[in-house]
Amino acid sequence: MKPDLRRSFAVAWLGLAVVLTTLAPRLTSHSVGQPVGAPLAPASSSLPLGGDELGRDLWTRLLYGGRASLGASILAAGLTVALGSLVGLLAALAGRWIHGLIVLVVNAALAIPGLLLALLLVAGLGPGFPTIVLAVGLGGVAGFARLARQAFLQGQTASYIAAASALGAGRTRVALAHLIPNARPLLVPLAATYYAWSLLGTTTLTFLGLGGDPTNPEWGSMLNAGRLYLQEAPHLVLLPGLAIALTILSVHSLASARARSFPDRPV
Amino acid sequence: MTLRPAHWRLRAGLVAVVFFSAGCSTPSTTNRGVTYGLTLSPTGIDPHLNASAELGIPLSSVYDTLVVQDPATGEFLPSLASSWSISEDGRSYTFHLRSDVHFQDGEPFDAEAVAANIDYVLDPDHHSQKAVFMLGPLEDVVVGDSQTVTFLLAEPYPPLLDSLSQVYLGMASPKALETWGPVDYQFHQVGTGPFRFEEFVPNDHITLTRNPDYAWAPSIYRHATAQVERVTFRFYTDPATRALALENGDADILGELPPHDWDRLQRDGAFQVESVPIPGQPMQFLFNTRRPPTDEWAVRQALLLALDRPAIVETVFGPSSPVAQGPLSINSWGYSAAGSFPAYDEAASARLLADAGWVPGSDGVLRRNDISLELSIVAPSWGYNPEVGQLIEAAWEALGARVELRVAPSFGQLKEAQEQGDYSAIGLNFFGTDPDLLRPMFTSGGIYNWMGYSDPLLDDLLGRAGGSAAAAAERSELYAQIARIVRDQGLLIPIRDYVNLVASHRRIQGLRFSYAGWFPLLIDLELAS
Amino acid sequence: MVSPPDRPRTRLLTVVLRRALSALGTLWAAVTLAFFALRIAGGDPTHSLLAQGLASPEQVAALRSHLGLDDSLTTQYVHYLGDLIQGDLGESLYTGRNVTAVIGEQLPPSLQLALSAFVVSLILGLSLGLASGWYPRRVVGRVADALSALATGLPVAIVGLIAILAAAYLSRMFLPALALTRAGGLVLPSLTLGFGASGALARAIQAGLLETSAAPYLVAARARGIARGARLMWHALRPVLPLAVSLSALQAAFLLSGTVVTETVFSRPGLGRLLVSAILDGDYPVVQGLVVLGAAVYTLTHSVAEVIASHLDPRLRDAEA
Repeated sequence: MKPDLRRSFAVAWLGLAVVLTTLAPRLTSHSVGQPVGAPLAPASSSLPLGGDELGRDLWTRLLYGGRASLGASILAAGLTVALGSLVGLLAALAGRWIHGLIVLVVNAALAIPGLLLALLLVAGLGPGFPTIVLAVGLGGVAGFARLARQAFLQGQTASYIAAASALGAGRTRVALAHLIPNARPLLVPLAATYYAWSLLGTTTLTFLGLGGDPTNPEWGSMLNAGRLYLQEAPHLVLLPGLAIALTILSVHSLASARARSFPDRPV
Repeated sequence: MTLRPAHWRLRAGLVAVVFFSAGCSTPSTTNRGVTYGLTLSPTGIDPHLNASAELGIPLSSVYDTLVVQDPATGEFLPSLASSWSISEDGRSYTFHLRSDVHFQDGEPFDAEAVAANIDYVLDPDHHSQKAVFMLGPLEDVVVGDSQTVTFLLAEPYPPLLDSLSQVYLGMASPKALETWGPVDYQFHQVGTGPFRFEEFVPNDHITLTRNPDYAWAPSIYRHATAQVERVTFRFYTDPATRALALENGDADILGELPPHDWDRLQRDGAFQVESVPIPGQPMQFLFNTRRPPTDEWAVRQALLLALDRPAIVETVFGPSSPVAQGPLSINSWGYSAAGSFPAYDEAASARLLADAGWVPGSDGVLRRNDISLELSIVAPSWGYNPEVGQLIEAAWEALGARVELRVAPSFGQLKEAQEQGDYSAIGLNFFGTDPDLLRPMFTSGGIYNWMGYSDPLLDDLLGRAGGSAAAAAERSELYAQIARIVRDQGLLIPIRDYVNLVASHRRIQGLRFSYAGWFPLLIDLELAS
Repeated sequence: MVSPPDRPRTRLLTVVLRRALSALGTLWAAVTLAFFALRIAGGDPTHSLLAQGLASPEQVAALRSHLGLDDSLTTQYVHYLGDLIQGDLGESLYTGRNVTAVIGEQLPPSLQLALSAFVVSLILGLSLGLASGWYPRRVVGRVADALSALATGLPVAIVGLIAILAAAYLSRMFLPALALTRAGGLVLPSLTLGFGASGALARAIQAGLLETSAAPYLVAARARGIARGARLMWHALRPVLPLAVSLSALQAAFLLSGTVVTETVFSRPGLGRLLVSAILDGDYPVVQGLVVLGAAVYTLTHSVAEVIASHLDPRLRDAEA
């Protein structure tokens, strides 16, 4: 697919997803929890996509599930970017000692697989939506911090920084006025990639059964619930799966369009 | 421009390696062997120490017990004990043992062995999770001569024979128990049964091989020795893979099949299907009688009446499962229809709540003095509890309550949730053949009294039914009274009686299950040629 | 300036030593981080034993003193490190079994899966990268490009579910005996995980090839007739290899977490299931042991990757001073 075509498709899908999930209450009158038909009912006028395994409207659950998935991953990604940028900035600005310490801690955190960290948090705080947001958000901090630090460091060698310092500008001022704005073109696509990573993380955790009340739909937990009926009613799995996949791929394609090539994957 | 051929050869070779290793990863079923699928992977499989019912599926064929229960009638019949007598006051049971039995490691089976087994179970450092409780008020085990052993109880305990018929009190070789100790014995189990314990690799497989020296089969077995050479147990903890395993030929027998898969296998006709009822408690949710709003009788009744239980069971389990009617399943000894729970009645439910002062607000949520009706359900993650929990949640939300459902991923987490006390209803049930299993759940302060319910009348009834020398008819009547109290007080929500949906390959013949329902009598398995 | 002939070899040794030291440092830091995080976040490890009624208060007290849980956290940490250096990972809180034995039992199936997936990811990554980087405008290249995009973006769980569906339909229609969907089998899981892991490699090779194929030295080589066809591609590939090698080793992290998900989707036994149940049961010694294992694998593969990469590309040798 030509890059432009791919990018337009990505924008179209993301737009559609955001619009549909935001307008969810207007697009359906059913509730997410009440059964309105027989289990695995076929599509009909009252059930545009048919019923799920307990007879609830699949269309409604997809819409509200999208709200939960997209919302959770934005929150988690926001947490990652905010904390990660802060840590990265500190590391870039700090003296040798603190810089070394931060690098050590970040590398140590990277050595612990993100999924494990997330599982530990879930075990400690109990399964549930806020826990998952926290777990995925914190899990990405180390990786983002490392890349943010690189971005800030690259900015530091620019000559105008030296000029500003020579003119007497303090470190904070240098940071705020120069480093951050100049790192932004690098960090924004990174943040976008991390959004995709957050969506992956939140759906994986809910897929493993660690989400909250299963009545409240979420694409990952719908995947898990539908798995039992994979051969009888594959659409229970394919629809949320497709939604997740398209969103992640769209974000990736938009992010890579503007990204510089970093050797590391944001793992 | 094309790639050099060598590249493709190398790649093809690597791909072939991957494919062939797939074939080598699982051992194939031999001619004289059977693969049986287990559906839970317990952390420990020593029946004397661990509580899982799953471990009994392989191990009840490795051990013999003092007595056995007829799978059809429940009558107690001789096995390792050729006869027994019970004293008038019900506090002393004397067993006369067979003299021709020896363990699979050659050691003789005698009264000393029985005593050693009981010591092993009672040892507090061994942390027995089930067997020790099954012994009740046992005070002492006295060895008479090598063929006579007497159990002395502090008070009468009618369930003792039932306990001694279960795999959890199966007779193990004292030498093996001594050699391996409580941590490692589970990997080297030695009994007197028709199958030897070969190997256990956690999460992977358990292997049993035929015991050629077996010569003391109880009358409930149709054969004198095992008919197949080897039985391999593999784990299929994920319900989505079970029917697939049967259809692929990976497993010959699998239970706990998802209802829709079992229906499909039944319709296809390629497999033999069976639905085995399991005695004991049905799937149920216990009300928390200590925490508002379920501390009020009216609220509990209303919540019960608001549930169309047959519809819930039909949605989740299809037609394969009977709707439960009380604290015991319908096929359990001691079940009484006198305690049947009321049917779905939406109007009566609404009336009860209105009379108690719960009025719907502008948002439809029921309120009383500005407090809304908030409920919290804790469901275990197994056995379709989460699905039932969701349907209960939906029904109560339609009633006007605000409901939250939490799923506990393990028994440990379930227990922790219960400790915190933050629930209106929690799912818990136990299986068993003697209704005395109700005692820990319904006596004041019982370890599984998660309802927090305390009633001296109930305590008295349970104590008499399980702790006196009452005859069967009298016990039965007591359990009927108990069922009525449970119903009248609205202590729980009975959902469905457990049935084990089993399917087996056509080449398997003679599959039958014990009185307890879960455990197959592997000695009677035959392979069609 | 000509450097002495024996310089390169000692430099490699220095690099290896430096890397090893750095790796040990990171490993120690990771283990420490995990230790304190587990204790602080998880609270009292024996709490769930009590809560589940698996031990009486006296037994728990005895267990606590046996495990040294009443000592200060620092003392416990020192003991833990001491045991760890000797290879003792402690005992499971639940079964009392040696943690090393418990992990060792579940290791083979996970290792099988991870290694097969790694092989698959190398093959796929190389093929997709070559196709999309060398023939970017042909159909083959475009398809490869799309596939590698899918490989980086699609969650492993979804790829796995699609694979199960596809295999079920295929085996119904063509080869019932092929049984690709057997639980515990290796073909589908390793293909799934390998596909996911191949994405980054394919992307890197693609990007590298696109860059070098326009490089002057290559154009010159072709113009002078030195290399044609596959040899030309090999010339283009060489500068990209160090990056590719280090990338594939970096995939260890992806494979570690990917294994957990893949094992769940395909119901394979292994460390994934052990990890989840240990965490849910609060069996801290087992969880800690798995963290140590994971961190060790990660730092080992990273160090090996960087040593190889710097050996292949001298420019990278002084990269991280």
